[in-house]
Amino acid sequence: MAATMKNVDEIRNRVILGEFGVKNVHTSDFPGNYPGYDDAWDMHKFQKNFRIDVVHLDESSMEFDMVGMDAAIANAFRRILLAEVPTMAIEKVFIYNNTSIVQDEVLAHRLGLIPIKADPRLFEYRNTGEEAAEEEGSEIDTIQLQLKIKCSRNPRASKDSSDPRELYLNHMVYSKDIKWVPIGNQADVFADSIIGPVNDDILIAQLRPGQELDIIMHCVKGIGKDHAKFSPVATASYRLLPEITLMETVEGEKAERLKRCFSQGVIELEDVNGKKVAKVVNSRLDTCSREVLRHDDLKNVVKLGRLRDHFIFTVESTGILPPDVLVTEAIKVLMAKCQRFLNELDSDINEVK
Amino acid sequence: MAGEAEKKPALEMVQADGADEGCVTFVLHDEDHTLGNSLRYMIMKTVDVEFCGYTITHPSESKINFRIQTRGGLPATEPLRRGLTDLTDVCQHVLNTFEARVNEFKEKEEQPME
Amino acid sequence: MELLGGEFCDMTPQELAAPVNTVAVKGLVKQHIDSFNYFINVEIKKIMKANEKITSDADPMWYLKYLNIYVGMPDVEESFNVTRPVSPHECRLRDMTYSAPITVDIEYTRGSQRIIRNALPIGRMPIMLRSSNCVLTGKTPMEFSKLNECPLDPGGYFIVKGQEKVILIQEQLSKNRIIVEQDRKGAVGASVTSSTHEKKSRTNMIVKQGRFYLRHNTLSEDAPIAIIFKGMGVESDQEIVQMIGTEEHVMASFAPSLEECQKAQIFTQTQALRYLGNKVRRQRMWGGPKKTKMEEARELLASLILTHVPVKEFNFRAKCIYLAVMVRRVILAQGDNKVDDRDYYGNKRLELAGQLLSLLFEDLFKKFNSELKKIADQIIPKQRAAQFDVVKHMRQDQITNGMVNAISTIYRLYLIKLKVYFLKLLAVLLSSSAEVSFNSSSGNWSLKRFKMDRQGVTQVLSRLSFISALGMMTRISSQFEKTRKVSGPRSLQPSQWGMLCPSDTPEGEACGLVKNLALMTHITTDMEDGPIIKLAFNLGVEDVNLLCGEELSYPSVFLVFLNGNILGVIRDHHKLVSTFRLMRRAGFINEFVSISTNLTDRCVYISSDGGRLCRPYIIVKKGQPMVKNKHIEDLSQGYRTFEDFLHEGLVEYLDVNEENDCQIALYEHMINKDTTHLEIEPFTLLGVCAGLIPYPHHNQSPRNTYQCAMGKQAMGTIGYNQRNRIDTLMYLLAYPQRPMVKTKTIELIDFEKLPAGQNATVAVMSYSGYDIEDALVLNKASLDRGFGRCLVYKNTKCTLRRYTNQTFDKVMGPMLDAATRKPIWRHNILDADGICSPGERVENKQVLVNKSMPTVTQTPLEGSTQPGQPQYRDVPISYKGSTDSYIEKVMISSNAEDAFLIKILLRQTRRPEIGDKFSSRHGQKGAFFFSLS
Repeated sequence: MAATMKNVDEIRNRVILGEFGVKNVHTSDFPGNYPGYDDAWDMHKFQKNFRIDVVHLDESSMEFDMVGMDAAIANAFRRILLAEVPTMAIEKVFIYNNTSIVQDEVLAHRLGLIPIKADPRLFEYRNTGEEAAEEEGSEIDTIQLQLKIKCSRNPRASKDSSDPRELYLNHMVYSKDIKWVPIGNQADVFADSIIGPVNDDILIAQLRPGQELDIIMHCVKGIGKDHAKFSPVATASYRLLPEITLMETVEGEKAERLKRCFSQGVIELEDVNGKKVAKVVNSRLDTCSREVLRHDDLKNVVKLGRLRDHFIFTVESTGILPPDVLVTEAIKVLMAKCQRFLNELDSDINEVK
Repeated sequence: MAGEAEKKPALEMVQADGADEGCVTFVLHDEDHTLGNSLRYMIMKTVDVEFCGYTITHPSESKINFRIQTRGGLPATEPLRRGLTDLTDVCQHVLNTFEARVNEFKEKEEQPME
Repeated sequence: MELLGGEFCDMTPQELAAPVNTVAVKGLVKQHIDSFNYFINVEIKKIMKANEKITSDADPMWYLKYLNIYVGMPDVEESFNVTRPVSPHECRLRDMTYSAPITVDIEYTRGSQRIIRNALPIGRMPIMLRSSNCVLTGKTPMEFSKLNECPLDPGGYFIVKGQEKVILIQEQLSKNRIIVEQDRKGAVGASVTSSTHEKKSRTNMIVKQGRFYLRHNTLSEDAPIAIIFKGMGVESDQEIVQMIGTEEHVMASFAPSLEECQKAQIFTQTQALRYLGNKVRRQRMWGGPKKTKMEEARELLASLILTHVPVKEFNFRAKCIYLAVMVRRVILAQGDNKVDDRDYYGNKRLELAGQLLSLLFEDLFKKFNSELKKIADQIIPKQRAAQFDVVKHMRQDQITNGMVNAISTIYRLYLIKLKVYFLKLLAVLLSSSAEVSFNSSSGNWSLKRFKMDRQGVTQVLSRLSFISALGMMTRISSQFEKTRKVSGPRSLQPSQWGMLCPSDTPEGEACGLVKNLALMTHITTDMEDGPIIKLAFNLGVEDVNLLCGEELSYPSVFLVFLNGNILGVIRDHHKLVSTFRLMRRAGFINEFVSISTNLTDRCVYISSDGGRLCRPYIIVKKGQPMVKNKHIEDLSQGYRTFEDFLHEGLVEYLDVNEENDCQIALYEHMINKDTTHLEIEPFTLLGVCAGLIPYPHHNQSPRNTYQCAMGKQAMGTIGYNQRNRIDTLMYLLAYPQRPMVKTKTIELIDFEKLPAGQNATVAVMSYSGYDIEDALVLNKASLDRGFGRCLVYKNTKCTLRRYTNQTFDKVMGPMLDAATRKPIWRHNILDADGICSPGERVENKQVLVNKSMPTVTQTPLEGSTQPGQPQYRDVPISYKGSTDSYIEKVMISSNAEDAFLIKILLRQTRRPEIGDKFSSRHGQKGAFFFSLS
């Protein structure tokens, strides 16, 4: 009985990496699936088991562990981070002059992809729809940017130079050349935060003497689902915590080989009575390449698995918002979604009544 | 986005003729796996639910069909409502925990500096 | 690397590819350029020499003699008699022909005076890009960019009326060679297609009931071979048999033929000629001295049958021996079925632009001359105040238009060509001038006989991508009819190894008939054979004219052929061949002259004719390759060139026939004691398109073939000058990428500098039914970020003409709305000059050029209402298309006819949409099904 219990626990809690496939990938702990288990939803149990550990956090990226959570919800957070947390991005480009080699459309597309540092929470969505399309943006939903630059010959360049950096002035147009033009009271409201491109060194176009760009841009609030330029993250992903179990002691040459089968730092060799014995030190570092399963004499020595409810999240921000803010925003978005349908449900019921 | 939601209802209920209240397909507009899968998980955790599943009708349509079948004549809206509130509660808890841990982490980071 | 072993093993692949580099880079279109250079520098002078004198029937004293002919540099007439050099790109933009004047030096009589005139233009010759007379030759990349030309563009094509035209390489059976083959009934026969500068004809030898006959289309019926021999002066049966061979079975096979002659009671040359004279196909006669039937027959034997064998003063010796060898071949083939293989590449010749153009020019030049003669004949008898001056009657447009039309239209060239052949034949027959009017009822047979109805010889250079342009320059089209259901010409021939790409052929109708050159293949041009003949005699070849005939069949004696003609016999053929090769390696003979032994036919073949396929090999001596490490180092550092390798005897070119006479090792470790040559780089057996495939040897073979067809459709970049071009349709990628996995070929052809495609991460997996049948699911975010984004350019043209009644087209400014004083919607994008302005967005039905045309363009009748204001009618050039375009640029210029030319380049940017196709480089294409967000 104990043995089977252990077996069921494994099916419930571990994803097993086999030589020819991955087992137990799906969540199965639903009420009625396993006799002897109470799988009905219990908030207290969840709160007791749930845990978050922040591993790393800086202004552009973070890593944290989320334990005691189902993949369905963790994945929802990831998906929202990628596609549903709003940001500000250049949506309309008014080209007054473009004599550069870059085509207008390509230039507009390039401009659109530049991350714009502006807190989207302080802005509204612009109205979409037929009549709204002609509407001018206002201070609450639009940021105006300007790019006006002209390339010329460098009068101080030496005569025999062939280096464009020396020959020309302004021949490389970078994102730092984009200037913010406040509308309405924006200058006062955003006095302490500088609005403009996050990065200064994004190359937009190259010019040659005489060529110029004269462009006004409008940034609006949007979400990554509509266009990837609104996505607030460079990447947001999670992986399950790997678990490596050694079924028997591995010594000598075999241990060396075992060590090489995993990522560095996963397995270390210990000196036990003059023999080198393999020991799992940090399974977290493993990439789960399953290389060990290609060695016939090693594949039965280890058991590879992943903890079903332990998510290692990595969030890399584009720099518009700090990554921890993005995560909180993502959670709020999910809550808002729930709320939307709860409201709808209530109004439905009201109608029925 | 917001404008459209006002015009069209975000939620529709489709019931087969003669079927009881316990077997309902909800149509959630402008939703996908993000809400669909997490809600399905929450609802399946309910004891009285016999079946819960969802499907994206076609990738070019932004809606999902969300099916709930209950046992013992329980109206299908009940588990849906419970699922949504549970999910909100879960999110709230996650949010609180996350913010707390982030603050802790930030404080810890600052300490060595001092 | 591992396979190369030995000496090469400490070298990087780059170093190993170095020799290939120098050959391949210029080699891809070198054959086209070489062939054209040969034509405009050498061949054209030979054509002039062959037709140098024009005389008139009206005045025996009058003559015109060409002293020299030149092709100049491409230029354009600015105003009357003022020219300036022109660049190819200007011709492309202004819809002109990139051509140079053909000038002649002449000597002629005017009255009693003899006059010499120099540099007289007679027409214009379209110039092949990068040929010796092109302005681009010898220019640096910097100078290229000044001319708006891409330095990576291969050249080798023509620009005719603004269009880039390629004359495809044509494959055909070699001329002047005996081909022994079996007909459908299994009877063995021999045939020779003779071709010299003067005449072209085809001679067949057939066997009917054990007797030999000669079939020729000037003979109304097949002539017994023995009668032909007698007609050529070999009256003794013994001598005939001696020439053919005195082996028992040979004599037995030939006996019935002699018997037939006996029965026909023909014993002397006179009798034979009389017999043949009655068989000569009757032709209508115009002018020329009347000839007897006998004379006619003798003329026929001398100049129409086997025309390539020279007959001087009716000395038929060489021709008899040639005929005897033909008979002998057939007899020997009958026994053990040693017929020749038509599909073998040693029996094939490739005809390039130069050869095709020289035929065309020859015809036009002859026509030009006969026209002059006609004019002289007409004008001289009339007494005039001014003396007849032929220079005034030399019109340039005939040759110019002839050349231009031939290249710009596909069909006409060949119709013209057919007529030429037919007329030439008649001309020879009647020994009168070519003024025989072409009669359609009798014209058809000559079409079929020469199989000259070729189509699709010139094609518009495909500029879909850089690779498609390059691929087109290496394309070879075959002469065989596409409907014929024989597999022979279509299947892969072993002799194709290394010469033609085994993968690159289209699917379906033209499968196996359209081929592509391999990377290092070179096609020879014609060479002077005089020195070779001299050398052969010095090396111990006994002249065929000094032989009694019986020597030909001695077992120890080998026949020596030069370009299909019998030169003589040799006792020690080993010595001849090895000395000959030594001389060639030492540079005493041209490196493209080939010599090979055929042991079954007991012959030594020397070839110096044009159109042979050949490729370089490293020479191996005593089991050691001649190219050592230090040579390669020198090469990569630029101390030596590939030419030095050739001259030092480290490397040599082998043609298909000689290749079969050598032992070639594929890799260095495969060299054994018999090895004579070493392959330079095995990957060069593929062509340009197949060369783009990474690891082609891991693919299923048809995948490589599919990829070859598909690689040409790839979108990307087409040249450094792509943004200066105004093409009818051009697809460019917004963000092309250099492939991450590359091949040596990719480096050689500069694909990395002009890439097509983007590197993508691909998952091969199922996705709920949206992946069925090679469908693709793309990540929407990647599309948002610019994956597969492309620019489509189209152009619109408009010309403003002047009409005969002094009226001309006008461009009017935009029409203003009466109320708002703003241009009406349709004229929204027009500038004040009535032409749309660059950068504007055009919608469907908006006007690009507001052109109006006079209602009356013909000269008004006399007495009708004179001048006043001409009436104008609007003929606007408007935009048609469901999606809006942007105006990239507007060009205003004039074309060759002095009409105003306005070209508008329109641009659209597109992101991948459902239905677009994507492919890997392994013949795996799929349609984009939907994007996943």
